[in-house]
Amino acid sequence: MLREITLGQYYPVDSPVHRLDPRTKLFGTLVFLISLFLSKNIWGYLLATVVLAAVIRLTRVPFRFMVRGLKAILFLLLISVSFNLFLTDGEVLFQFWIFKITREGLETAGFMAVRLIYLVLGSTIMTLTTTPNELTDGLEKSLGVLNKIGVPVHEISMMMSIALRFIPILVEETDKIMKAQMARGADFESGNLIQKAKSMVPLLVPLFISAFRRATDLAMAMEARCYRGGSGRTKMKPLRYKSGDRVAYALEFVYLAGMAGLRYLG
Amino acid sequence: MSIKVEHLNHIYGEGTAFEQYALKDVNFTIEDGEFVGLIGHTGSGKSTLIQHLNGLLRASSGAIYYNGENIYTEGYDMKKLRSKVGLVFQYPEHQLFEIDVFTDVCFGPKNLGLPKTEIEARAREALSQVGLDESFYTQSPFELSGGQKRRVAIAGVLAMEPEVLILDEPTAGLDPRGRDEILDKISELHRERNMTIILVSHSMEDMARYADRLLVMNHGEKAFDGAPKEVFKHYKELEKMGLAAPQITYVVHELREHGVDIADDLTTVEEARDGILKALKEL
Amino acid sequence: MGIIKASKLIFDYVRRDEEDKVEEVNRAIDTMDVDIKKGDFVAVLGHNGSGKSTFAKHVNGILLPTDGTVWISDMDTQDPDHIWDIRKTAGMVFQNPDNQIIGNVVEEDVGFGPENMGVPTDEIWKRVDDSLEAVGMTAYRMKSPNKLSGGQKQRVAIAGVMAMKPQCIILDEPTAMLDPNGRKEVIRTVRELNRREGITVLLITHYMEEVVNADRVIVMDDGKIVMDGTPREIFSQVDKLKSYRLDVPQVTELAYELKKAGVNLPDGILTRKELMENLLPLFEHRKEN
Repeated sequence: MLREITLGQYYPVDSPVHRLDPRTKLFGTLVFLISLFLSKNIWGYLLATVVLAAVIRLTRVPFRFMVRGLKAILFLLLISVSFNLFLTDGEVLFQFWIFKITREGLETAGFMAVRLIYLVLGSTIMTLTTTPNELTDGLEKSLGVLNKIGVPVHEISMMMSIALRFIPILVEETDKIMKAQMARGADFESGNLIQKAKSMVPLLVPLFISAFRRATDLAMAMEARCYRGGSGRTKMKPLRYKSGDRVAYALEFVYLAGMAGLRYLG
Repeated sequence: MSIKVEHLNHIYGEGTAFEQYALKDVNFTIEDGEFVGLIGHTGSGKSTLIQHLNGLLRASSGAIYYNGENIYTEGYDMKKLRSKVGLVFQYPEHQLFEIDVFTDVCFGPKNLGLPKTEIEARAREALSQVGLDESFYTQSPFELSGGQKRRVAIAGVLAMEPEVLILDEPTAGLDPRGRDEILDKISELHRERNMTIILVSHSMEDMARYADRLLVMNHGEKAFDGAPKEVFKHYKELEKMGLAAPQITYVVHELREHGVDIADDLTTVEEARDGILKALKEL
Repeated sequence: MGIIKASKLIFDYVRRDEEDKVEEVNRAIDTMDVDIKKGDFVAVLGHNGSGKSTFAKHVNGILLPTDGTVWISDMDTQDPDHIWDIRKTAGMVFQNPDNQIIGNVVEEDVGFGPENMGVPTDEIWKRVDDSLEAVGMTAYRMKSPNKLSGGQKQRVAIAGVMAMKPQCIILDEPTAMLDPNGRKEVIRTVRELNRREGITVLLITHYMEEVVNADRVIVMDDGKIVMDGTPREIFSQVDKLKSYRLDVPQVTELAYELKKAGVNLPDGILTRKELMENLLPLFEHRKEN
């Protein structure tokens, strides 16, 4: 069961979106998120919908994969929608006991729901079309300016990429440790909360020791391969913008300008 | 009193396009007091198989009878089964967690809900069975040598007083002395306590020396089942499964091919030496 | 002077208590002298705790001597100006295949060393291609390391070292965690590299079968070199090897036992072929009489 957890959920097909530079996609996602908060009326949402649909089409990822991410936020969605629905003052449309639904409430709730769903879909496109490696590379490069104010950008992205490599290994190890302790009669399921917490000790101690051991080994192996931080390093796969990226950037700016313009319409 | 496995199947991803048999119609009976060697290349299903024997994995279909009782019967006490069929995994690092050796070995019997005096008596007994004296009791299990860690891990399972002891590659990564020490202790448990042993190992030499019976797994199916001497005669088939026979088997068969009159079931250095000396004398 | 040279090398593991006072000193290497020739395949044998892994870590500058000196291609490992050149010259492969692969994709891992060395991008690609080819892992270049077998992971680790263009590879028990097929796979790869590319190999192990084809075998015990010679010289001393907690290959042991029982066989038989060549004539000979 533990093995089914996947990270990054990259969907491996070849599409124009997959081929874009991760920085272009990061920027695009950012633009899309900002645009959702810019838009004040139906026209803005209409444009966002058209653009979103077009991009989804371009990614060649089946739609059902996209909506999988929505399940996770269903609860959040329900809460924020009901809050807006019932707690907004204005022209009353419908009243029942202490609940009253206003026209303004209905509008805000509707926009809120769409905004949340688009937010998730927008970022899902990013993770579905970009490998974790590209993503860390893109972040490293995009956030490079932070280096100047003392943020260790290279180190952070190296850590992210090592974490991605070791999470599946540690997940599998957790499974093995659990079995080894169950073979000695350990019980991870029954009992109250305190008993359950206590029963985790035989699992967590070997796991932590193993993780530390791996960390020490890995540090040694990295040093043996001449790793000495980010300076003076070259890249096997340096990020290079291609013509597609230029087009995408242009479209991203046009879209942003359009969304800003529509804000003053109607 | 035995372990009986009947038509055991274990299927991953059943009903999907990725359906894969980890175990396919496996049948055998292991009687009390047997020393069974289990071999097969990585991914042959041997690890999956042993995890079924103590109920850690559940079969897709088929049955396992422990002492005549089907362990898949509703309400069967799995915890008790795990104390009777002790399973020691490959890496002791996966189970050692307590502050000292003695407390760690107490973990198993403590889980059985025994009184404190009984728990401690069992831990002492188990540690002496693996040859660790009182000077080890207060040591941290993490600071022991590889061989000592294995012995603590084995003691941790022995303290539950199992009737069957299953060991998954208990000698991997040990040097020759460490390996011999572990195997001698296991063999002692078998001889002196009549404990049923199931040993998973990649070393055909060790199998030839210790096991009474060999079970060979290949692609989830039982490929051979018999005395090591008999099984190793099929060394050509074993090779096709990514396995091999002990070096001695090859020497003996090559001699026979050259017309030397020597038995075809010699598998250890001592047997081969005696066989060759006898053949030389008879000329 | 050879590519690896140690003179009066001593190394102590020092354990300190919380106040940084010395609690315990363990001498892992005790006055060791060794000189390894360029292009040789040298195996270092010894039981766990004999000091063989500690020695390996000195060759790459991961550990520095407590006393004495280690030179790699005439560079003193204690000279901080040379440490990266030393690591480029003497690449290291470790025991646990998982804990030395950094990349999430095979080819990216192989490129990690050259990236650190500041090799230009085009050259990195060439080196990655060549190294993967040399260890026979080209077909797996886009795979995640987590999907590989133990033997394949070790071959990727070897390719990662090869991409740094070293003159020498040190393998610290590279097969201890592998199954017999994985073990064979790794040793075959290492032998190929030694023969075809002329890489000096220092193989640390306790599996005797792996050292039969070495040019030279060094046996360590208690931090010292106790035997040093060709495999044949070493394996003809079965009792001495056993006293150092080591095994001999079964064929060697059988030959040794037969010889002890009065059969006329030469010392230090290493392979089945040799045993047959020497044993079969005895049968022919007696039949004729």
